[in-house]
Amino acid sequence: MEKVEKKLREEAKKLLAEKKVDVVVGYEAGTLPLTATPVFITAPEEADRLVWNAFCHHNLAKYVHDLISANRDSQKRLKPEDRKRKVVGVVTKGCTSRSLVIHLQERQYERLDLSILGVPCTGYVDRRALAEKLGGEEILEGSLDGANLKIRTASGEKTIAVKDVLAANCVTCRFNNPVISDVMLGEPAPAMNPAAEYAEIDEFEKLSPEERWAYFQKEMAKCIRCAACRQACPSCYCRTCFAEQSMPQWVGISEDPSDTQVFQFMRMYHMVGRCVDCGSCVSVCPMGVDLRKFLKKLDKDCFVLFNQRAGEKIDFPAPLQDQRMDDKEDFIFNPGGGH
Amino acid sequence: MSHHDKPAGRKSEGWEPKIVAIVCNWCTYAGADLAGISRIQYPPNVRIIRVPCTGRINPFYVVKVLQAGADGVLVSGCHPGECHYISGNLSARRKFATLKSFLNYIGIEDGRTTFTWVSASEGERFAQVVKAVTERVKALGPATKLVKKLRDADVAVAK
Repeated sequence: MEKVEKKLREEAKKLLAEKKVDVVVGYEAGTLPLTATPVFITAPEEADRLVWNAFCHHNLAKYVHDLISANRDSQKRLKPEDRKRKVVGVVTKGCTSRSLVIHLQERQYERLDLSILGVPCTGYVDRRALAEKLGGEEILEGSLDGANLKIRTASGEKTIAVKDVLAANCVTCRFNNPVISDVMLGEPAPAMNPAAEYAEIDEFEKLSPEERWAYFQKEMAKCIRCAACRQACPSCYCRTCFAEQSMPQWVGISEDPSDTQVFQFMRMYHMVGRCVDCGSCVSVCPMGVDLRKFLKKLDKDCFVLFNQRAGEKIDFPAPLQDQRMDDKEDFIFNPGGGH
Repeated sequence: MSHHDKPAGRKSEGWEPKIVAIVCNWCTYAGADLAGISRIQYPPNVRIIRVPCTGRINPFYVVKVLQAGADGVLVSGCHPGECHYISGNLSARRKFATLKSFLNYIGIEDGRTTFTWVSASEGERFAQVVKAVTERVKALGPATKLVKKLRDADVAVAK
């Protein structure tokens, strides 16, 4: 990790000094112990602020989209020949790279707008899992010591293995390395346990519709519709979200549970072939809604039906951009069989 | 039982399901027309919404129809390969495959949503589909999941 971090700083410094990028989006140490926060580096001397460790959980593709579209909007009134490209360097782990691929597939910007600093990833620490392990005690001091976290709380010193507090999406991750990069920093990381990727979904599918509906209702009842999931999601970049449209008003604003259910259902359904399972929505949800239980199902369906995973291949249309004559159609209703 | 628990009067003896059919202009709508011209009988439970192509159907239509209280949704278009716009129904097929699967996954009964193909020459098939769908929805009873109930509560308060 330290080696990767050192290389990352050097590379960022080089790119900024040679003016190959205008900004490097990365992570810096957070203000609280054992956290990291996104940072925008624009001067070579600032590059030493960059870190790469097990606390870097944000999907930075979100910021890349924001930066590039803001730059484009600010130049709308300029003649095309006067417009300047803003090249964004981005620290990219597996899930971030797949989000970038999705943006490229959806023609949000060009590959030339990006300089991808690939980093191998061995998963990030789930803030909630860690808090649970500590029984809700505040972390006064903490450091990363190899594969362990050394933590001091009011009740004393504790050692917790990183692998025990990894986020659920990291435990079964198959994309530990970026799928596209301009420069790869450090040795590629091994895959985690992708064989168990859909175990939770398979379990849930075995329940009766009534049990599944009860679970959906229970989870959605927690939702306060703050839209943090949408704000954090790199695939949610619409200028006007359907949730805020008023002509037509897709989502009611009443306190009827169905309005929340419909909002969540449709936001999630928009993620067919677009959810990279980066865990951003889950990590920002203030109410702890189990979004992954549903989003991962879309990922599974996409793989089962179309043999594709979101953002896996750059020179391939996204699953719902594409279609085949011989797509599976077992769901098509056929009274009397055949026609 | 208060009005808040069950939509008023829907579970009564003579309950008939309301089914919304979203159909494409070129095939299924013409198929329905043919069924009419040929005087083929089919249940009157279906309300037809005509759209240019199944590819034009926003999956949100289906969800909104369910939220508005329809007991079943039927979506039908041209058979694959016969789309007036060449591939609209193929895009639709991918959308609906995942939509139906996801609706089933959250616990919506399988029979509430139906996707099928009916061509302009298949008046008989259209009647057959509507009959079968109506029977399926009837067996399930009135829809309760995802249905917006606040309106009924408002009525109850007004009374």
